[in-house]
Amino acid sequence: MIIAENVHMHFRRGLVGPKIRALDGMNLQVRDGDFFALVGQNGAGKSTAMYCFLGLLKPTSGKIEVMGRTPELGASLYSSVAYLPEEPHYHLYLTVEEATKYYASLYGERVPAKAVDDILERLGLGPFKKLSLAKCSKGMKQKVGIAQCLIRETRLLFLDEPTRGLDPIIVREFREVLREIHQRGATIVMNSHVLSEIEMLANRVAILEQGKVIAQDDLHNLMTLDQDLYSVAVEASGSVPDYLTVTERQGNTVRGRIPKAQLYEFMDYARQTGLGVLECSLQRASLEESFVRILKGDAPGEKKEI
Amino acid sequence: MGELVRANTLTLLTYFRRSRLLLAFGLVVLLLTALGSLPAIMANSKVASFDSLRDIFRTFNMFLIVFGCALGLLVMSSHLSDRSLKMVFTKPCPPPVWLGSAFLASALVSLLLTGFVLLFAVALSLLWHIPVRAGLVFISLDTFLAAVAMSAYFIFLATIVHPAIAVAFALVFNASLFYYLRITVHNALHEAAKGIIFLKGLEHIFHFLYLMVPMTRAFESKTGAIYSSFRVPAHDWLYLLYSFGYTLAISALFYLLALFFLQRKRFS
Repeated sequence: MIIAENVHMHFRRGLVGPKIRALDGMNLQVRDGDFFALVGQNGAGKSTAMYCFLGLLKPTSGKIEVMGRTPELGASLYSSVAYLPEEPHYHLYLTVEEATKYYASLYGERVPAKAVDDILERLGLGPFKKLSLAKCSKGMKQKVGIAQCLIRETRLLFLDEPTRGLDPIIVREFREVLREIHQRGATIVMNSHVLSEIEMLANRVAILEQGKVIAQDDLHNLMTLDQDLYSVAVEASGSVPDYLTVTERQGNTVRGRIPKAQLYEFMDYARQTGLGVLECSLQRASLEESFVRILKGDAPGEKKEI
Repeated sequence: MGELVRANTLTLLTYFRRSRLLLAFGLVVLLLTALGSLPAIMANSKVASFDSLRDIFRTFNMFLIVFGCALGLLVMSSHLSDRSLKMVFTKPCPPPVWLGSAFLASALVSLLLTGFVLLFAVALSLLWHIPVRAGLVFISLDTFLAAVAMSAYFIFLATIVHPAIAVAFALVFNASLFYYLRITVHNALHEAAKGIIFLKGLEHIFHFLYLMVPMTRAFESKTGAIYSSFRVPAHDWLYLLYSFGYTLAISALFYLLALFFLQRKRFS
């Protein structure tokens, strides 16, 4: 669906400002039907990558293909693409209803008023449809952005920090809508700082650092990366073996981690001492933990440029 | 394509309707124009009335041209500064379509205002018992074409530079300046013993720039009598056709130039 090969994007801030390498040899592949998340620290190049996929920026060098074509401003390939920007760069002189209608009509077809009303009602914007966008809160503007993404059936959806400024109820509903769209076969590329959200939605993740993709894999693989630890919970009133790293104590219950290599030793110890094992499972790292470890280069074989 | 042009044009007309900056600018210029016309309105002889009508009409037509510049300047600069074009160009709506719609919307507003000014002039003629002459229509159409050309020029300038720089540039580097420079170089050429090739090159450059910068009345020397008497000899209507051709050429030139720079902008 999207291929980026050795993409460089360099530019200067002003005429004499320092040269910025927003993308520095980025390689990335989004497969058809992926729910793909781009993660990285601030300034890692996530938004720049998305702008390049959307044709808003032309890479200095390298190749980008979206649905087999090079993205350009206003290209016909966008007839099945929707984009939700990070900042509310909308036509602020329009009302909520006018903006939704206008953005939908930019696909070349007149949109029935009922379709506009329905989507606005669904997102809770019904009572505000005559309100000027300039007077809307950031969250409301974001909902307008979501409305223009959802009003048509799309094959490819780009979301740049989609839930920023939204209330929890709408975030939850939006998440459901995204799952529904994804299940219908759409490919979704999302750029977010909310890693818990990515854990809930994405199936593939790319981690960017300084304009390069340093890890790209299925979410499941990234989250179980370098997992040679078991998390255990035991009932212990006295001492516990040295290799059990205690993370929490609550009354008699001790929670901690043990290395995979000492699992059988621990089981023998528990049998011999009558230690009550309440829980013992392979520890799964959260995306956040994997993300931090990969960025720090702690994960074996990771922090390699892809 | 048709739906895209319709949607963009209607949206840009909404922008013009709701732009407070444009409204404030229009009101200030209108107020100044009206104040300038007051002495003319106070006069009460028939000859004086005709002179008054001519002055008022000229002032309002000048207002139309200045307003045309503002339309072009604001439509481009505001959409670039608020970055809303990002939302347009990530849909199957390419820059040529949006830019064409911006030209069209500016021209439609100019046409509407030209209509109002013409109606106002006709109303004043009837009020002051002055025969309504064809010159009013001729001048209105000529002014409308000039406003369209100036609007196209300012759309181009606002695409490449900050609006304040665009205004300053247009005020300084106008057709009169390049005409004067060309004549100066031309005269120097006759007296020069050396550097003739350089001066000839310079003359050509100034002549080119003189032709490039749009003029508000490209056929002033031929149509001056119409502007003073409001009478249009039958063969003089042809100059309106020439003006139309001139405006079309200038608009096409600035459309292509603006498009060239618009497509090379970073929309991030």
